[in-house]
Amino acid sequence: MKKCRAFFTSPKGSLTLFGLAALLLLFSSVGGARAALTYYSETYSSRVQMYNIGVTLMENGENVSWRDYTSASDGSWNEKTGELLLGMLPEGEEIKPGKKYAEELCVKNSGTIHQYVRVGIYKYWLDKDGNKLTALSPDLIRLNLVNTDTDWLIDTQASTPERTVLYYRNLLKSGETTPLFADSLTVDGMVATKVTQTKTTENGYTTITTSYDYDGVRFCVEAKVDAVQEHNAADAAWSAWGRRVSVNNGALSLE
Amino acid sequence: MKKKTWFLAAAAVILALTAAVDDAWAYFTTYAQAKGGYTLSLGDKTTVEEEFSAWTKHVVIANSEDSEPVYVRVKAFCGSEYALVYSDENGKWSPGGDGYYYYKDVVNGGGATDELLVKIEQVPEDVSDASRFHVVIVYETVPVLYREDGTPYADWTQKAETGKLEGGGL
Repeated sequence: MKKCRAFFTSPKGSLTLFGLAALLLLFSSVGGARAALTYYSETYSSRVQMYNIGVTLMENGENVSWRDYTSASDGSWNEKTGELLLGMLPEGEEIKPGKKYAEELCVKNSGTIHQYVRVGIYKYWLDKDGNKLTALSPDLIRLNLVNTDTDWLIDTQASTPERTVLYYRNLLKSGETTPLFADSLTVDGMVATKVTQTKTTENGYTTITTSYDYDGVRFCVEAKVDAVQEHNAADAAWSAWGRRVSVNNGALSLE
Repeated sequence: MKKKTWFLAAAAVILALTAAVDDAWAYFTTYAQAKGGYTLSLGDKTTVEEEFSAWTKHVVIANSEDSEPVYVRVKAFCGSEYALVYSDENGKWSPGGDGYYYYKDVVNGGGATDELLVKIEQVPEDVSDASRFHVVIVYETVPVLYREDGTPYADWTQKAETGKLEGGGL
């Protein structure tokens, strides 16, 4: 023991320790360099497996928006942000309050690794300048959610009249598509009953003008899909989404 | 000197250990989003056009060009000593059992109803001043609503919710 202490307290011992620490530091970067070498090796190139994550929002069977990590290994993404409801109305037709329009929404795993996904749905009204009208009711924009008893979990803690957050209960494997989380959209006919009356008096005559609160306003539906890796999914979800989840035998649940 | 050497050695070891921390904290994540919507057009402006001839009122309800489609109903009032008889050429007006006559078609913006004839009967033959007769026409419209399959319908029981009154109270 005394010899050890004498060795570690001697300049020679200190130098040895420093050298060991430096070697440890150097070897910690060898992994990356070795990986780079195998990438260029013809012998091992066929064994390289790219871990690319990607997710796609689908509407009525078509890809609308996606963001997929590319296999170029340069940190680039193949991504597109599309627009919802584009083909909902025939040309020249206006939205008909009360009519049910097909709006089938689901999520596809467009990456090469399995993942867990969640969807945030936002419904709100905008004026002609694009400002949000918080006094108008998001409930009158009825996006019909489906499969919430079987495949999708509603996060009641995170949901508001404007926002609904859904978690897909199962692992979404590479290339697979979830069951629908919505199947139709209806603007409630009640929009035609909400009015504001303006009273004006001129030359002894009182005029009451009635205007519709929802006339000229734009309804907006927004869907945002988030995906995290399968491995350490609970930690990944906490880190990326700020939501505690549990994963048992592949099934996700909210804590 | 010894303390300094120990400090340097410890710092090197900590540096080496933390070199891999980034990997442990990085997770594969991604997202995709989209949004869309449409602007609603509500509101209508309708007018009544009346002509009087041969003890008959000719009533037409017109919907302004920029108005949304509406359904229309009409009712006429007069003194109890006279009777009113409703008719139209195309059979588009029908009695609702509540005193109103209902126009069966949707009246689109820029359109108008067919003519509804309201004939005053039991008029005394010796009447010389027709201005003594007052037949008042009342009409109402409701915006066209749609069932889930897109079929239009009128809901005459629906009441407007006047959440706001600007410019004074009633």
